[in-house]
Amino acid sequence: MRDRRNRMENEAIHLEKKHVHSVYEKTAPYLSDLRCKAWPRVRQFLLEQEPGSLIADIGCGTGKYLDVNGQIYNLGCDYCSPLAEVARKNGHEVLVCDNLCLPFRDQIFNAVISIGVIHHFSMKERRIRAIREMARTMVPGGLIMIYVWALEQKHRRFEKQDVFVPWNKALCSRNNSTSSENSNKHSPGYIDLNPMLYSKDYRMDDNLRQENTAKRSYSAGNYVSVGRCCLKIPEEHENKFYSSFGKSLRSWFFSKSFDESSLKKHMERVRPLKNSDGWVENTVLVQPSRHCSIDLGHTGSLLNGQVYEDDDVFVETTNKEESLSIKNEQYMPTILGANNLNSVSNRIFLRTSTLDSTDSFLDAINADAEPLVNTKDFMRYYHVFRDGELSQLIEENVAELSIVSSCFDHGNWCVIARKIT
Amino acid sequence: MLLLSYLRMKLLTHNMLTSHVKGVTKGYPLLIKATEVKLTDVDFNSEFVSRMIPKIEWSVLVEAADTLGHLNDLPRDLPPDYESSEDFLRKVHHVLLEVEVLEGNLKCPESGREFPITKGVPNMLLNEDEV
Repeated sequence: MRDRRNRMENEAIHLEKKHVHSVYEKTAPYLSDLRCKAWPRVRQFLLEQEPGSLIADIGCGTGKYLDVNGQIYNLGCDYCSPLAEVARKNGHEVLVCDNLCLPFRDQIFNAVISIGVIHHFSMKERRIRAIREMARTMVPGGLIMIYVWALEQKHRRFEKQDVFVPWNKALCSRNNSTSSENSNKHSPGYIDLNPMLYSKDYRMDDNLRQENTAKRSYSAGNYVSVGRCCLKIPEEHENKFYSSFGKSLRSWFFSKSFDESSLKKHMERVRPLKNSDGWVENTVLVQPSRHCSIDLGHTGSLLNGQVYEDDDVFVETTNKEESLSIKNEQYMPTILGANNLNSVSNRIFLRTSTLDSTDSFLDAINADAEPLVNTKDFMRYYHVFRDGELSQLIEENVAELSIVSSCFDHGNWCVIARKIT
Repeated sequence: MLLLSYLRMKLLTHNMLTSHVKGVTKGYPLLIKATEVKLTDVDFNSEFVSRMIPKIEWSVLVEAADTLGHLNDLPRDLPPDYESSEDFLRKVHHVLLEVEVLEGNLKCPESGREFPITKGVPNMLLNEDEV
């Protein structure tokens, strides 16, 4: 039993390393440019703290909450060094550490915020530990605010609770007070994503275009202060990247049908995934959220102009036999990505019916698995929470915290709790 | 060196940090070994400082400031009526918020394990065998 638990924990650590930590490390340069909107409720929470309070933002990222209230001492922590460095450069006090092992004495913080963090832990036990560790550092009477991504979204619902979400680079409005024609002036290898959104491959209605323009000018001022970091792509691939990215972007939002011959071809290329003991349910691949997610802030609203109904959630097949035995409600929907993005065509995605998952058993995502839409390195793991799950988690497992309030905010479940002992 | 002025760890932060290396019972306070220290200007807010004092370990602050050579004439014992002494509060303010470590490390007093400070960011992550 103990061995099984240890194995599961090791799997969890491995998965988080691959699909949380390394993704954030690689995407840190993008996040530094993207000035995500601070959630108003979080801001409010911080502004209500007494002057002279000690506050910790555990999982602070680039530090967007660290300067909300100048009357309190804000300390940011993040596992990701590149992100912490960005926060530091923005003038914040930060350190690199692990939520599960906070390097603080007991009972020092008057308040703690954990915004979009614990949904990255892949085991329930680890989520509990993270909360308990934060509670340990709080003074009695102190408050903690926790935000996690919700299973229940405004117009849709994740079909499963354990999901991989592709990180959509196009939703970062990088740079650009200049127009798209000027993008050539940038240094070689510089990716200006905005022109792609206007390519003829990509439909966009006027509302969205306007909003995107507004977004660019908003971010332009902020861009300068954090410095540049360019994605290095060899020049010969750039054109391919641009055109195929546009296609792949569209395919994320629209389902295409499959004919039998192409289906067979793809089936042949599907490689079996390694199954490891103890992991039960499949983790699901989802499309980027059309609504404000934790990380995208109000850039999620960029998608509001999209005309699409489908919001399919796909699960990867684990082996050939399984993919061949598709029945009934399962069908073969989209191939994500286009021709020039390698290996996507090797993937088959099955649409499944909703499966309830109350626990966070993980899929065996093979380390050798093919890249998906060139986003192999950009698939982030989330455990999305059901209504009441976070409160229940705390009530049943964290005796030192007492729930003060709970609400739904922009696609997240938000809980505020008080340290009682 | 204005360019590097944003890259630092304050002594207030140090005051809160402890070592959680496996088996360590006395991981606080961490010993500072600083190779680069800077002074910076931070707006003085007497209420802020006065409220912060009860939250910190005073002797640790004094020791840390001393280690960095910036103790000046800060008393080793906390005066009883410190809230009303602006002079005193200003000294505390200086030590808490204006003395900054850019490069160096924080050493666990019990295990000797060193946590690096790079560009003002302490890295407190433990290795697998230390957890």
